[in-house]
Amino acid sequence: MFARRRLAFVLLASWSAAAPAARAAAQPATATLSATIAPQASLTLSTATLAFPDADPDALGQVPATGGPLLISAKARATAGQSVVLSVLASSDLRSGVTVVPASNITWTASGAGFVAGTLSATVPVTVANWTGSGLHSGSQQFYFRNLWTHPTGTYSTTLVYTLSAP
Amino acid sequence: MSKAVWSGVITAAAVLMMSSPAFAQPATDSKNVTVSAQVDAKAKLDLGGATTADFPDDDPDTSATLTATAAIAVTVKARTTSSGTVTLTVQAGDDLKSGSDVITIDKLTWTAGGALSAGTMSKSAAVSLGSWTGPGTHNGTQTYKLVNSWNYVTGNYSTTVTYTLTAP
Repeated sequence: MFARRRLAFVLLASWSAAAPAARAAAQPATATLSATIAPQASLTLSTATLAFPDADPDALGQVPATGGPLLISAKARATAGQSVVLSVLASSDLRSGVTVVPASNITWTASGAGFVAGTLSATVPVTVANWTGSGLHSGSQQFYFRNLWTHPTGTYSTTLVYTLSAP
Repeated sequence: MSKAVWSGVITAAAVLMMSSPAFAQPATDSKNVTVSAQVDAKAKLDLGGATTADFPDDDPDTSATLTATAAIAVTVKARTTSSGTVTLTVQAGDDLKSGSDVITIDKLTWTAGGALSAGTMSKSAAVSLGSWTGPGTHNGTQTYKLVNSWNYVTGNYSTTVTYTLTAP
């Protein structure tokens, strides 16, 4: 009994292999394709240094940073409808030895979609730009140092930390 | 349920999980920018445009002291270190003279208002008009006085005084 069934299967298989293509039965198959689109953030700045030269406070109340505006390119992949935020925080106030000038003496104007003007802080991140959803954005910041007679002499420095966040 | 079916279910679940907002972690990128600002020493003195101090004549018995017609408005602006001493001094180039006639410069005094201090003029040493610690701006007025005396020889006396503001 078993031998006869085996013979029949072999014959059937042979017939199927020799049959014209027109008689071939469709063979359905499925494949699952998956792509992971996770949040991504990439920030590019045109320079890593900003310098404010000395100037007469009566002649120049706001000293612009040398070299012109800081150019910013921000690329972000985010959840639909979520805000992509670029912020900046000073690591400390401007310091020259033990002498301190508050970071709030640095301000900026902004250009580019989503970019906003602001005043630097050493305590809370300040929004530089924000957008909704994924995309590539570019803009610029022109920095100014508030030039006062009350600033003690010195060479002041601090570090700005830019953070681009895409949820 | 066959192995193939379970495999499909697991794959679908994974795709759903990875595409859900709850699964996605925020992405961040950070960059640093170093900032430097140069603040150098500066000193600026403004006498309110006054370049002369005139004393009208008067009777010594009724006016023992002559007062200049206008006070000098003094504005001091100085940038120095936090502990630096800013000084404003004044010194006469010579006694008051009219030809060969002389009124000694110590007859010239001044009163002061605001951030300035009163004093007596000297031609041999700079006299302090004000002293401050650290950077900033200071305002005051200086009104010159001249001792009036019957002993003065008539004449039109003059001298030049030099103001010096120093911010180390």
